[in-house]
Amino acid sequence: MEDKTVLRARDFWTSLVLMATSIFFIYKTTDIPFFNTKSAGVDVAEWYNSAALVPYGIFYAMLILSVVLMFVSIKDGGAERALSLMGLGFTKDEALRITSVSAILLLYIFGLVPRVDFIIGSALMITCLIWGFHKGDQKSMLISVGAIAIASLYALIAHFPRSEWTKPHDDDWVTLLVFAALSVVMFIKERRANALDKIVKLTPVISILVPTILVCAMAFGFRQNVPNRQGLIFSHIEYHYFVTIKPLWQGQ
Amino acid sequence: MDFVLTQLAGFGSSFVWLILDPITYAYLIPAVFLGIVFGALPGLTATLAVTILTGFFGNKFPLDQALIALIGAYVGAIYGGSYPSILLNIPGTAASAATAMDGYPLTKAGKGASALGITTTASFIGTLFGTFCLLIFVWVLLLISQNIASPEKALLALFGILLSGTLMSQDLVIKGWISGLIGLAMAMVGLDPILSETRYTFDWSYLLSGFQVVPVLMGAFAIPQIMDGMRAAIHLAKAPKLQRIRPEVKEITKRMPVILRSGGIGTGVGALPGVGEDVAGWVSYGVGKAASKNSDEFGKGSVDGLISAEAANNAAIGGALIPLLVLGIPGSPPAAALLGALKINNVIPGPTIDPAVIMHVVAVLVLASFTMFLMGLFTARVFVTILRIPKTIFLPVVMVLTTIGSFSVGGGINDLFLMAGVGIVAYAMNAMHYPVAPLVIGVILGGLFDETFRRSLLISDGDLSVFFTRPGAAILLTLNILLIISQIPFLKNFFGQIFKRKNA
Repeated sequence: MEDKTVLRARDFWTSLVLMATSIFFIYKTTDIPFFNTKSAGVDVAEWYNSAALVPYGIFYAMLILSVVLMFVSIKDGGAERALSLMGLGFTKDEALRITSVSAILLLYIFGLVPRVDFIIGSALMITCLIWGFHKGDQKSMLISVGAIAIASLYALIAHFPRSEWTKPHDDDWVTLLVFAALSVVMFIKERRANALDKIVKLTPVISILVPTILVCAMAFGFRQNVPNRQGLIFSHIEYHYFVTIKPLWQGQ
Repeated sequence: MDFVLTQLAGFGSSFVWLILDPITYAYLIPAVFLGIVFGALPGLTATLAVTILTGFFGNKFPLDQALIALIGAYVGAIYGGSYPSILLNIPGTAASAATAMDGYPLTKAGKGASALGITTTASFIGTLFGTFCLLIFVWVLLLISQNIASPEKALLALFGILLSGTLMSQDLVIKGWISGLIGLAMAMVGLDPILSETRYTFDWSYLLSGFQVVPVLMGAFAIPQIMDGMRAAIHLAKAPKLQRIRPEVKEITKRMPVILRSGGIGTGVGALPGVGEDVAGWVSYGVGKAASKNSDEFGKGSVDGLISAEAANNAAIGGALIPLLVLGIPGSPPAAALLGALKINNVIPGPTIDPAVIMHVVAVLVLASFTMFLMGLFTARVFVTILRIPKTIFLPVVMVLTTIGSFSVGGGINDLFLMAGVGIVAYAMNAMHYPVAPLVIGVILGGLFDETFRRSLLISDGDLSVFFTRPGAAILLTLNILLIISQIPFLKNFFGQIFKRKNA
């Protein structure tokens, strides 16, 4: 277990966040009728049947527990260490690494998946995570974050409205170019460093094969909905599945 | 006795029907394999395996077939966690943390293969034991549950959340309770179940139907593992070479009392709402140590210690399904994922559940444990090879699996956004030693608690005595109060001193 004072320093901040959240939601709960619930002038519910009853209980309990948590944290010396990054138990390297992982995942989910072809977007994300984090090299990690940021932010800014998400757009091509460029940079950098190992060689293969197999299995095997059916690659796969392959199977 | 024979006859017909259907094997073998792989790869959990498969199967497949895959993966994953525990001293899942205590010393002593063989057999017998208890007790409890009304259901849901928060906390118990409260609060989002009043929707129509279970589970169990796995330093695992894995029959016969005792403990702990396999493993390990004549060998490579943990965590599967099928209250986080699958298919667990579903679940559990046993004995080397895959390779693949699984369940992109949000919160909670399981249990039981608590008050015209005038409710209320006051430091010290004096 980590040093207790580090945990208590984190607990100090958590208790503050929890207190603020509880108070905010207690305030929001006042929007829900509690006493004298009336609809069209008729009593429809008493306090004990109000939709606000349980939420009030939950948020008041959370407020009380967060006060207790703060008390424990102060008693164990957490408040004194709360203002330093080291006090929170993070080194700068660690903080950078976790920020980078979070950025890649969030850029993938909020930028790429809704707008870009699933196979291309996932290939880029997989390459970023494998190359960016496998050897723990900070430069590779930052290049990976930069690459996915370019593709994701372009898709996000150029095609922000929900009405444009599933339509075919240039963002598929931009992401494909970024993926190709990142793969080339990866090979050049690793070759120069004399570190062109099996994992680097396999990365582009895994990046393309895994999402392709998964999306095809999901769409045609499990018959489930998949993201972005109009995407650059998947639209072709779907077309040929129904127009070329399936009739062949059915002997037509 | 007649009752037991009738149950066995019902199970027999379900089992025969299942083994004669070739489709069974098409789902079961890959699912158990996938489960073992998920269990064996540190960072991936049984809950995640079941949740991802729930996403894949959704409601497009008959429930019978979906259950074969989900239960197969559940059984496989709980067992698969023992591989890295024994061979590398890294628990593959939380359920197999206690396994590492004696498994790894056995590997260091050159007995890794035999430890795996004994573990496989103990897990197999443990699963069968839990399944037998499920077959018998589920019907007894279903009969009792017909007398369980809203006050008891509300208090049982609350007990599940509190108990999960208390037992799953590694640090302060209030952190487990806060986690449960966050889950309860999340369950309040959407239309309330009695008056259809909107709560915390912030004018976003997606939130009217509340938070969906599958994206919450994926967010809570996949995203933190991926973030943590990528953050941590990378070590390529070097598993030792294995000799003969199949155990001697004599050895197993000799250890049968320990296996059966651990199976009993595992089933009992598994049946507690929201607790699960990891607690079962530790409790059984503790009891095994206390009961053993050679307790000083525990932690140094004791075979009894290994069996105590492994038989119990697999037996907990059958136990965890008892409250799930009887009351709709999951006994463990993977059972919560199973509940999600049942809900997607419009199956409501409880007294009105179709008896055929229960028989099918029992038959699948038995067949899955046989499959796990055979795979464990004959393909163990494949799983040992899989242990060598670095985290940086399989975690991005899991991210894609999670994304597509979460998207396909029903809510599309909004479910993905929910998954990401829950994932970030769950990561922060993990970093600060808040258990995530109570949050998930809270999300699942929150709706039940809200509805039954208010319905109780509605029926009694706001009279709170409804929660202590009914015998069942009075017992549950007492348990809830005892659970809370047992954690108040002043009372904890007071009772601790009384016990000390008595023992002196």
